[in-house]
Amino acid sequence: MSYSIKLALQSLWHEKWINLLSMLTIAMGLLVVTVVVSSIYNVNLFARKLPERFFIVAYLKEGLTEKETQSIVGLIKGRGSTERVKYISKSEALKELKTSLKDADYILDGLDENPLPASIEIRLKKEAVGPESVKSFAESVRKIEGIDDVQYGEKFLLSLHSIKTGMETIGLILTVVMISGIVFICYSTVKILFYRRKEEIETLKLLGATRGFIRTPFVIEGGVIGAIGGIIGAAIAAAFYFSVFYKLSATVPIIRAVVFPAELLLSLPAAGLFLGITGSLIAMGRIKFS
Amino acid sequence: MINFQEVSKFYDTITALRNINLSIEKGEMAFITGPSGAGKSTIMKLIYAAELPDSGKLTIAEWETDKLDGSTIPQLRRNIGVVFQDFRLLLNKNVFDNVALALRVRRIPEREVKAHVLDSLKMVNLRHKTDGFPSTLSGGEQQRVVIARAIVGEPIILLDDEPTGNLDPDTAAGIMRIFKEINARGTTILIATHNRELYRDTGKRVIRLDNGAVVAEERG
Repeated sequence: MSYSIKLALQSLWHEKWINLLSMLTIAMGLLVVTVVVSSIYNVNLFARKLPERFFIVAYLKEGLTEKETQSIVGLIKGRGSTERVKYISKSEALKELKTSLKDADYILDGLDENPLPASIEIRLKKEAVGPESVKSFAESVRKIEGIDDVQYGEKFLLSLHSIKTGMETIGLILTVVMISGIVFICYSTVKILFYRRKEEIETLKLLGATRGFIRTPFVIEGGVIGAIGGIIGAAIAAAFYFSVFYKLSATVPIIRAVVFPAELLLSLPAAGLFLGITGSLIAMGRIKFS
Repeated sequence: MINFQEVSKFYDTITALRNINLSIEKGEMAFITGPSGAGKSTIMKLIYAAELPDSGKLTIAEWETDKLDGSTIPQLRRNIGVVFQDFRLLLNKNVFDNVALALRVRRIPEREVKAHVLDSLKMVNLRHKTDGFPSTLSGGEQQRVVIARAIVGEPIILLDDEPTGNLDPDTAAGIMRIFKEINARGTTILIATHNRELYRDTGKRVIRLDNGAVVAEERG
């Protein structure tokens, strides 16, 4: 094994320019995968946190008795998918509005009567927050006697769902393309190195070398090229994150919400190693002896 | 040790060997001779499994060539030392590393490699050239490096394809002396040559080939 490692290192140094070019190309490919995976990760993270903030508001018709209101609340609670159902009376609604207006609450001073309707704020269970399930839930609430209107961020929910699905599809395609590209780069690099040492390999075979002996230095070389490509990719991603993203997040609040998965950076060298070895093995194919 | 039974080999429409029956005994030193294209090199290639017979049965020591596969061919080759006609020296490696290659393919520890390589180089009188590269050596020296590489793994069979081609008579005689020494240690040796001087007065078996067939056997 030590001789195989020595051979691999010698070849890595001897063919340093072609190897460096391959490493940089792999780094760029893995960088694209990192950006794609990070984006999907963030959209998913946002979508996962959504149920905690998402709620449906059912506005009640004017003039309902307390008994009728309690009956409506009971009906809504009776549907299994609710997490919390809160009744907000007309006066509570006005109080909340005043609180949210802060110093501008004088605009309500001229009102003779409270124009706000009483409402029921419904939080759904996590698994029930999806475009279809929310829509059907809202429709069923709307049909309850005494309910005037039901509102929720239908368009927002639909857009988020479309963005999530779209990004996952594009991300999957891009990742597959990039991974195939990286395997192909490793394949081509090792194939070139293999052809350059064809005479030597023929001699090794005639001296009694096994397939394993012939393959090992190339597998090591392909693995090292892939792993170093992964390390370069991770270093560029980390440098970009800390020099640009991290600084920007101090001034642009939305960037602060973006999470960069550190595990992804750590997995890049391992991914490069695996792809490098895969490309090498495909490049060498089946070694024939006679 | 080596047994050909009705062995034939074809290259497209050309018959390289036709129904060869030949047996080389353990510890024997024999010559194969004949004009160019007679099939000498093909016989050598069949023995170290660079080629496989198209028909007939070929047995080398414990191996039957029709049962060889990717895992047994290396085993067979590790037991055969070959002095190739074109030497097959690696130009980017020095003399030591070229000889050591035959042991490194067997994953022998480096300490043992060093001792064996230096012994082999001493036997062919090239102990002082260990750091030299093939391109700096004469034809005779290159051939001796190849012999050192062929014998370093202590093979049971040594094959030499045209050992003295393009060499002056003194160098050729030196190489034959090395072969006799190796043979005296019990190694079976088969030498393909068209140079009569090599086997004249040796008393060894000479197998004459012509047009892919054995046409005569005699003593040198």
